[in-house]
Amino acid sequence: MSNSIDIDLNSGNNSMNSLVFHWNAIFKDGTHIFQFDKDGIEHKFKEVQEKFNELVYFNLTNNRGKMFSVNLINGLIGYNRLEFPYIETEKKKENIRLIFFRRHQIELNESLNEKNHNIAYHLGLQYNDENNINRKIILQINSLGHFVIGV
Amino acid sequence: MAATFQWSESNTVSETVTDGISNLNFVSTDAPNASQTIYPITRPNSSFTKYLRAKFSGVWSEISNMKFWKSSGTYVTDEVIKAAANVAFVTPTQTSTGDSEIPITEGTALSVNSYEGPSTITYGSGVSGYTAYLRLQLQMSASTPAGAVNQKAFTFQYDEV
Repeated sequence: MSNSIDIDLNSGNNSMNSLVFHWNAIFKDGTHIFQFDKDGIEHKFKEVQEKFNELVYFNLTNNRGKMFSVNLINGLIGYNRLEFPYIETEKKKENIRLIFFRRHQIELNESLNEKNHNIAYHLGLQYNDENNINRKIILQINSLGHFVIGV
Repeated sequence: MAATFQWSESNTVSETVTDGISNLNFVSTDAPNASQTIYPITRPNSSFTKYLRAKFSGVWSEISNMKFWKSSGTYVTDEVIKAAANVAFVTPTQTSTGDSEIPITEGTALSVNSYEGPSTITYGSGVSGYTAYLRLQLQMSASTPAGAVNQKAFTFQYDEV
């Protein structure tokens, strides 16, 4: 009897779907770090982490003009370059910290290819409120720029 | 862009590592990319255990929250895939493991650590970029029907910055 499963793991490589949203960071001294600089070199997020205390804005943008922005000074999240905060959280915030990561979910089938490769961008902040309770607000953004808010 | 990964399989007593494997056939031999036509499993035997790792490369700072589960594909009678994460490599055999059935939901998925042990793979010197081992095995009984089993799909999830 032949009874085996052929589970192909994508030729040994995931395709690493092109990232739709790219980040850039703006610091107190006015300097920027772009995920991809003008020479096309990709920078590590670690470079931002090393200057977290100096971080003012952290933005995610796509090539269709959508932009999500976290203001680390006032603890506000903006959307599409609106001049007012699109998503306002508590009034008093202390110890504001950035939340950002990409969640990859790769489903592999038996045909050497990925069935799905979804990337969800998680962007937000956490802070301590006036009662020193840690709170957070996170946007989960899909590749189309649609998002849901989680707290 | 960002992190990429490839699947790596370990085989043989001296641990021959093959990065970039092209399939994971549950077969009756201890070898990567083996053909199930040439090496079918004879019921009620189990397949050889498979020791897998994901190997990350590219541009990234941290990989965390790594999970693995079977996301689709129904079993036939007395067919089951057993799995365990973060195990030590031992020479693959057809001896049935006592591992649990592979999870089928994200909520119960296997949590996978780095090869070095921590749950997060931090880019830097001394870090291999490998996850810890996943051990998989197809198990059957004499009641398992002859012929091909149903297709399965697996999901690997991780967070990256």
